[in-house]
Amino acid sequence: MFAYLALAGLTNGALYALVGIGIVLIYKATGAINFAQGDMLMVAGFVAYTLHVTLHLPYLVALLGAVAACFVLGLLAERIAFRPLANADIISLVLATVGLSFMLKGFGRVVWGGLGDYLSFPPLVPNDPIMFGDIILLPQQLVVTGGAVLVIVVFALFFKFTSLGRMMQATADNRRAARLVGIRVDRVHALAFAVGAALAGAAAALMAPITLLYPDIGFPLFIKGFAAAVFGGLDSLPGTLLGAVAIGLIESLAGGYVGSGFVDVSAFLVIMAVLLIRPRGLLGSAALRRA
Amino acid sequence: MRLARLIPFAMAALLLAGAARADDVPGVTDTEIRIGTFGPMAGPGYLYGRLAMNGVEAAFAKANEAGGVNGRKLVLVREDDRCEPAGAIAAVRKLIYDDKVFAIDGGGCSNAAVAVREDVEKAGIPWVVFAAVHDGLTVPVSPVIFSPALTATIESKAQVAFARQQGAKRIAIIAMHDSWGRSRLDPLMATLKEKGITPVADEEMAPDANDATAQVLHLKAANPDAVIVVLYPKPAAVFLRDAAKFGFKPLAIGQSGIGDPAAFEEQVGVPGATANFVTIAMVKVTPDDPAVASWRAEVTRLYPDDRLSVFNLFGIGSAEVLIEALRQSGHDLTRAKFIDVMNHLTNFQTDVYGGPITCTPADHRCNKNPVWLKKDPGGAIHVVAVTPVD
Repeated sequence: MFAYLALAGLTNGALYALVGIGIVLIYKATGAINFAQGDMLMVAGFVAYTLHVTLHLPYLVALLGAVAACFVLGLLAERIAFRPLANADIISLVLATVGLSFMLKGFGRVVWGGLGDYLSFPPLVPNDPIMFGDIILLPQQLVVTGGAVLVIVVFALFFKFTSLGRMMQATADNRRAARLVGIRVDRVHALAFAVGAALAGAAAALMAPITLLYPDIGFPLFIKGFAAAVFGGLDSLPGTLLGAVAIGLIESLAGGYVGSGFVDVSAFLVIMAVLLIRPRGLLGSAALRRA
Repeated sequence: MRLARLIPFAMAALLLAGAARADDVPGVTDTEIRIGTFGPMAGPGYLYGRLAMNGVEAAFAKANEAGGVNGRKLVLVREDDRCEPAGAIAAVRKLIYDDKVFAIDGGGCSNAAVAVREDVEKAGIPWVVFAAVHDGLTVPVSPVIFSPALTATIESKAQVAFARQQGAKRIAIIAMHDSWGRSRLDPLMATLKEKGITPVADEEMAPDANDATAQVLHLKAANPDAVIVVLYPKPAAVFLRDAAKFGFKPLAIGQSGIGDPAAFEEQVGVPGATANFVTIAMVKVTPDDPAVASWRAEVTRLYPDDRLSVFNLFGIGSAEVLIEALRQSGHDLTRAKFIDVMNHLTNFQTDVYGGPITCTPADHRCNKNPVWLKKDPGGAIHVVAVTPVD
């Protein structure tokens, strides 16, 4: 039983990590939480659905289309909801991204809300269960987990080894100093939103066969991704990964050993306990702050 | 001569009196009857809103083509409630006080629908429910609310009866524990208790769950013959997908919240995982049934991008009931007459419901014939049984 539950927890953790990393990416560069991250993911999922299911384009084209569409959406979001308020107080910024979240949800309902209650997205691989010894898996779950790991590695390398990644970190650490050394802060912010949204695009195309698609999917995913980021440390990609996996495992093990009514509650109880002891999260290096 | 001079005045007075009488009845003129409807127009719940409304519209169009009801055309006024109680209250108040409709044929989401009961009763406006199943709509009896849709208790009784008919002795439950789930779970538990059945397992799932490993392992360990599924389509799909992963394929008994077995099979996405799944429909016909060919044509004519669905049929059935009650109410239509006719509607046969519609002053749950639908993997949807509930 433990192996089954742990495996399920890891798969769910991978889903949460894909959402959480997008949140962290934008936070690291801008110091702002994008409350519309889940709804960007929803839009990306429907873009992928339109390309793959409605227009019968290959999956890879749908994935790249979702990534590209979200990249543009991220640029627009930065221009509409972030840049005009970049110097405003944190509450204004939060409200702007919350407003964007509602706008995107409304857009999703109007454009795709009439296609079905929960749209199914064909799995990338045949969905017949496969056995690894005593462990039973659905191939799509392996695809999601593998895809999440790949995306996380790519972004870790991006921050560590690319000049743009370092510029994002520098801008997040101290916007004024970054500007003084010649970093075009506005452009970095725009790129952070765009790349964070593009990540949501990739995540959506990967997870859609598991989560199904519906206009209200964004917020529940955002909450889990945000919880993972806070749990792990809002400015830490490895921390977010750790937080996401921990939440997935806690939910699954609590559901299995305590009771299915504890699935949603358990992770948040543990998060609250950890944050009381370590407010910066497991691997966070700084307290929540606004750059 | 003096009498002849009075005739035009007398005729004008009569006309004015007639017009005044029509004006006195909200939503009724000499040429039309305005009927309101509300439900979700978009989002996951739109099946129980917009599609059901399209069914009502199709029934109205058919009646209007045949000359209307007692010479008056039917006009449908739509409001979106977003499947939310606050949205429903706003929608219904607009229908009552701004649009001044004669009656309502609507209510897609249970929690949203039950929230407007007080407003509807206060206004004294007749309401024929087309999809919402919350017991609170009809129990205790409301003087103005009539439900040709099924109710949670009726569906719960049918679920238990069907499980027993199939020989299930060990019955388990998997349910959402939110307000929607509770509105079905409570009558289900009461029914099981009434029959002396203790569930061998009682598992919970969240509406947005993406995994059901823990629940499946618990249920599998309990070894039930049948699992009663009180879930939305998404968690239900996740449950059956994970159940198939572990080779756990009991008889899975759904309810009208999972009303489209074809869409559900796609949502589950694992070949054969829905082989033992049956679900409740309010209607006895599938969209491909030759018996509803004329309705199929009417819906396609009005909505060229749509194909007839089970949810259209919900609307068609409720509209057939409403139209019959309007017809029996006669030309001098009032809300009181309409309500009186509804209170005594007996054995009215529609084209779609599983059995005749009967309302009494003491019981406004007018449809007690849940229909069981099943879809063979990769095959057609068919009606398995009708379970009349006393």
